[in-house]
Amino acid sequence: MAEEQKQGQTAPAAAPRAEGAPSGAPSGGHGGGHSGHGGQGGHSGPPRREGGREGGPRREGGPGGGPGGPRRGKRQYFRKKKVCKFCVEKMDLIDYKRADILSQFVQERGKILPRRMTGVCARHQRWLGVAIKRARNIALLPFAGSAAGSTAPKAVEAPKS
Amino acid sequence: MEERLYDLIFIVRPATPEDEIKKVVSSVEHACTEKGGKIEKAEHWGTRKLAYKVAKHREGMYYYHQIRTNHGELITELERRLRVQDSVIKYMTIRLDEDLKRQKKLTDKREKRAARRPRRPAATPAPAAPVAAAPAPEQQAAS
Repeated sequence: MAEEQKQGQTAPAAAPRAEGAPSGAPSGGHGGGHSGHGGQGGHSGPPRREGGREGGPRREGGPGGGPGGPRRGKRQYFRKKKVCKFCVEKMDLIDYKRADILSQFVQERGKILPRRMTGVCARHQRWLGVAIKRARNIALLPFAGSAAGSTAPKAVEAPKS
Repeated sequence: MEERLYDLIFIVRPATPEDEIKKVVSSVEHACTEKGGKIEKAEHWGTRKLAYKVAKHREGMYYYHQIRTNHGELITELERRLRVQDSVIKYMTIRLDEDLKRQKKLTDKREKRAARRPRRPAATPAPAAPVAAAPAPEQQAAS
């Protein structure tokens, strides 16, 4: 199970290999797609997962259990217990000025990542949305789709090729 | 009326001469003192890349002020002044005090709870499970 996880995580990096290998293609490709999004958002997949597993029992009724429940899908995937990053760090305010933090929760093109990918709890996701929108307003973050301005063309075309 | 806290950020064209910028900043400061506001923080973030093009510029100089005032007209006045400045390409004011109030409330609540119910020692053998689970699928993957 754990190995599968690892495979999934490394798949985006070694995409051509996964596509070339006929046996690994269906499962590896799928897994790569899934965790590829997660990696894009948080780029701290493995540590967060472990933190979730160990921190799970210790937390007493914390607000951000996260939607770590069973995943849909034919095979039973790894169910990674995601923990809200902001709850872990006990952040009561998400500062719109911290573009470095906010950019972990948007896609390359500037879309806000859904909670099911990032594991952010409902309350923090609400604040996060506001913060991201404020940051967009003052050009700290791109609006969806308009990332093409300065850096995006390279970044977007790279994974395709 | 209670006092309110605002964030004021404005972006200046990257190629603006120094004295022009000084003029803008001092105009902001002047308006503040005139209308009974207090500048709590004033920061210059330097030239930063903009996330999207603003007035055909890819970069801009960010200036950040935190203003405490109980006159709402001050914000109107500041925004008006920034709007007429050609060198300012974007500005934004945001009311902060409500967010900060909420933050304070939550932090206080958390501290109170922590004080009332001290954390019990976490002595669960959690790390054993992942290690044990790892080897079996490894073989599966290798075959």
